[in-house]
Amino acid sequence: MRYERQILMKQIGEKGQEKLKQATVTVVGCGGLGSPVLTYLTSAGIGKLIIIDFDEVSESNLNRQFLYGIKDIGRMKVECAKERLQDLNHEIEIVDFHEKVSPDNIGKFIDSADVVIDCVDNLETRILLGRECLRRKIPLVEAGVEGFYGWIMSIGKETACLECIGFDNMRIRRQGPIIGTTAGVIGCLQANECIKIVLGMEGTLFGRMLQYDGINGSIDSIELQKDDSCRAHRG
Amino acid sequence: MIEVRLFATFREGREKILFLDAGEFKKAGDVLEHLNIPYEQVAIYLINGRHSKFTDSIKEGDVLAIFPPVGGG
Repeated sequence: MRYERQILMKQIGEKGQEKLKQATVTVVGCGGLGSPVLTYLTSAGIGKLIIIDFDEVSESNLNRQFLYGIKDIGRMKVECAKERLQDLNHEIEIVDFHEKVSPDNIGKFIDSADVVIDCVDNLETRILLGRECLRRKIPLVEAGVEGFYGWIMSIGKETACLECIGFDNMRIRRQGPIIGTTAGVIGCLQANECIKIVLGMEGTLFGRMLQYDGINGSIDSIELQKDDSCRAHRG
Repeated sequence: MIEVRLFATFREGREKILFLDAGEFKKAGDVLEHLNIPYEQVAIYLINGRHSKFTDSIKEGDVLAIFPPVGGG
């Protein structure tokens, strides 16, 4: 039995496993965060994964994007990821899109999702996903990483989003420094958060942000206040 | 007193949490200057969990959380 060890958990059981099977999760970005997120959601038995990435595998991805190997360089990430993940678990459905998310096409990626997970590296897509998930009342699990540091938070209609806390003013470095272990830690936390949301568990990260510090070996929780004048929430 | 919580690279060469005399600071930006953190390096500045500007006032008991950009995926 593939899932017998997690079904033993009182938070999951047979009923919880069926919830995971019935769930659709959209994962935007199949890179450093996407690799652990997709691996653990696939392993856990999320019934349907919608995966989106417009990029191809390059050698500099391989320090952290463990879904791929040398032989995959130059191939589409979504194609390689789907192959690897279906090999891990052929019982789930994976729908892949080799596209860039835009205001014109975002609906087809997220409309059917129970949870959306943001694993991208650019502000534009983060803000778009935030606004569109809020508009559709779909829970969004956000995260970011750089060097030995990372953070994660969940976003919902009643709790703070990235724009509430001023993230939309941020200048994000493209091709910033990153070690695979940081993306691994934060990606695992994103997958765990998604599983908790699907199961309807308490203790999720709506209204707070976890900050991971891989140098000092600590995780801090920061309470976040929703901004009543937030444009994303009003939209 | 105010509690100042620093995150990510802002911790390097500084403490994670500092307790400072509220009377020494009028505005949020004054705390950055005290800590030698350039304004342009700050991505998120929260006072009591709420998004704040550098010109916002500081008062006794405030909890400040200051973050540099961490946006990779």
